[in-house]
Amino acid sequence: MSSDMQNFIGLSAVLTGFNQEILAPELDPVDIKSEYLPLFESKIAQESGDPQLVQQILLKYASLAAGGGTEQEIGTAMLDPSNGANWVLACRKLIYTWYAGAWPTLIPPGPSKPASTVGDVISAESYTAGLVWQVMQSHPMGDSNYRYGYWATKPASLSDYTGNP
Amino acid sequence: MKAKHRVFLSPRKGTAWWLTCGFLAVLTAQAIAATDTGNAPPPAPALSWNIPTNITVTTPPSPPTLDSLQHDFDVFSWQTFVALNWPANADGSPNTNMTIGQDTNEPVVWESYRESRTIFLPGGDKPADWGQNSPLPPQCDKIDAKHLPPGTLRLTQVGKTPNVLDESGEPFKTGPLIDQNGKYARFSILTNQAMFNYIVNNQLYSKKGQQDFNADADFPPTKEDSQEQAIMIKTSWVEMGGKYDPSKFFTTWALVYDNPAEEPGVKPSCTLKQVGLVGFHIGHKTISDPQWIWSTFEHVDNVPTVNQPISKAEYNFFNPACKDCQVNEPPPRPWNPGNEYTQPTQVERVIAITDDANQLNAEYHQALNAAVPGSVWQNYELVSTQWPTNAKSKTDPTGVPAPSFLANTTLETYIQGHVKQTSSSCIACHNNATQTNGKFSDFTYLLQRAQ
Repeated sequence: MSSDMQNFIGLSAVLTGFNQEILAPELDPVDIKSEYLPLFESKIAQESGDPQLVQQILLKYASLAAGGGTEQEIGTAMLDPSNGANWVLACRKLIYTWYAGAWPTLIPPGPSKPASTVGDVISAESYTAGLVWQVMQSHPMGDSNYRYGYWATKPASLSDYTGNP
Repeated sequence: MKAKHRVFLSPRKGTAWWLTCGFLAVLTAQAIAATDTGNAPPPAPALSWNIPTNITVTTPPSPPTLDSLQHDFDVFSWQTFVALNWPANADGSPNTNMTIGQDTNEPVVWESYRESRTIFLPGGDKPADWGQNSPLPPQCDKIDAKHLPPGTLRLTQVGKTPNVLDESGEPFKTGPLIDQNGKYARFSILTNQAMFNYIVNNQLYSKKGQQDFNADADFPPTKEDSQEQAIMIKTSWVEMGGKYDPSKFFTTWALVYDNPAEEPGVKPSCTLKQVGLVGFHIGHKTISDPQWIWSTFEHVDNVPTVNQPISKAEYNFFNPACKDCQVNEPPPRPWNPGNEYTQPTQVERVIAITDDANQLNAEYHQALNAAVPGSVWQNYELVSTQWPTNAKSKTDPTGVPAPSFLANTTLETYIQGHVKQTSSSCIACHNNATQTNGKFSDFTYLLQRAQ
């Protein structure tokens, strides 16, 4: 795994609250991370107008992680407004991507409409890989790996889904 | 590291050590003099009658990667394929005085396995014991065993009863597969003795027995010290003759039964035919892989691959001269295997065989040819092996299979592709299998056949 990818997964784990082993298992036939990182790089460069922003974000994460901060401390530092609006928005979009399997577009408020967010599903794989289903301890509509009759039994614990205690 | 639950490590070169399920346990350490083979071709794989009980994890790399483990599972598939197609003694055990392909008139090991037809009987009757005769469909009673071609009949474990191919619509009712002679391909499903015994001992052959059992099925191995492993096999066949040269196929004589229960309007009939093997699925449950290991093989001439050159003049299920044939489309209804001729199916493989699997196929073909020059088994290739990458997952009972999709063009012809819940994935599909009372059936749909 490249250092960019390692930092990307580490950053994603800090921001989403999921364990790195859940986001990027050592044996990973779905490999959704390899879809998300290049998308994150290209979209943020395009939308922020700053082709270096993602690299700066990943390097700051690497620096904080090397400094031994807790995940909570690192996450707070990454989302601090002092980083700049585009920086924070990029991190929030990354959270959205992991949870929804979609790329968010912010729609500014209109004369009669409040601001809103539209998500474009990235792929069939990203739809089913969305973390929102895991947090719900459920499954995507139209795609379930649970066995017949699962609805009558208690789901696994939330920590089993997130990989964190 | 999830790979630790695999059974043992054996370096391709260097020191060998072993891992047992779930935890690192060095059982023995055999120091092998490290040799640097450089870029020399890998040694020819050994051919053995022993059915492997788990994969051999090879290193480097360490830790194993998805690709390296895929290779190891593919080797496991070939080892199993060779052992199952080893010449057999009368009791179905491997004939250790022979090698695979040595005498094509001898029955092979899997031919002693039990056909599903003989397990799930009308009325939920108890099946005959392992090794005992089972009744034939009435229409087959007219076939006199004395008139069967001498020396070519493959007997099942029942001793006097030829194979019966009574399924023409495998699988999933997505449509029959029509060969280049305009005939229906035929299918059969078989279980080994461990699986058969579990079904019989728990009376899972009948609906009533399943109600009384009232639990999820759990075929062996269920414990780490279990000596038994459940294996089930699906085979697909075409009738020999016409465009099919028997010398290129593993052939057998079979009673081809048109089953009126399969499709409306089908008239029952039973005919003795020489048939050739075109597809071979193996489902093998191991202690490390409770989702089973799924291997699939095909005849090398079955089909070309989508977007790849059409390199052969003839295929078993593809006509290069047909430019307006719809690809991977089932024939229009009504379906009737008794028809004299049906427009052949134009089939292409949707997911290409990987380069690594092709290389492994070449190595095994070389070994098979070395064992028996011209061996018919050179004409069969591994498509791939599907296995659980996280067998102990608490949140995904499929164990996150790799590859995500796997299809045999003769058995999942019309559901090839990359769409979840739609395209063929052995584990994802069989994970939905239940008994007749809704209880989990442990990755087999066979228990649904109970009456």
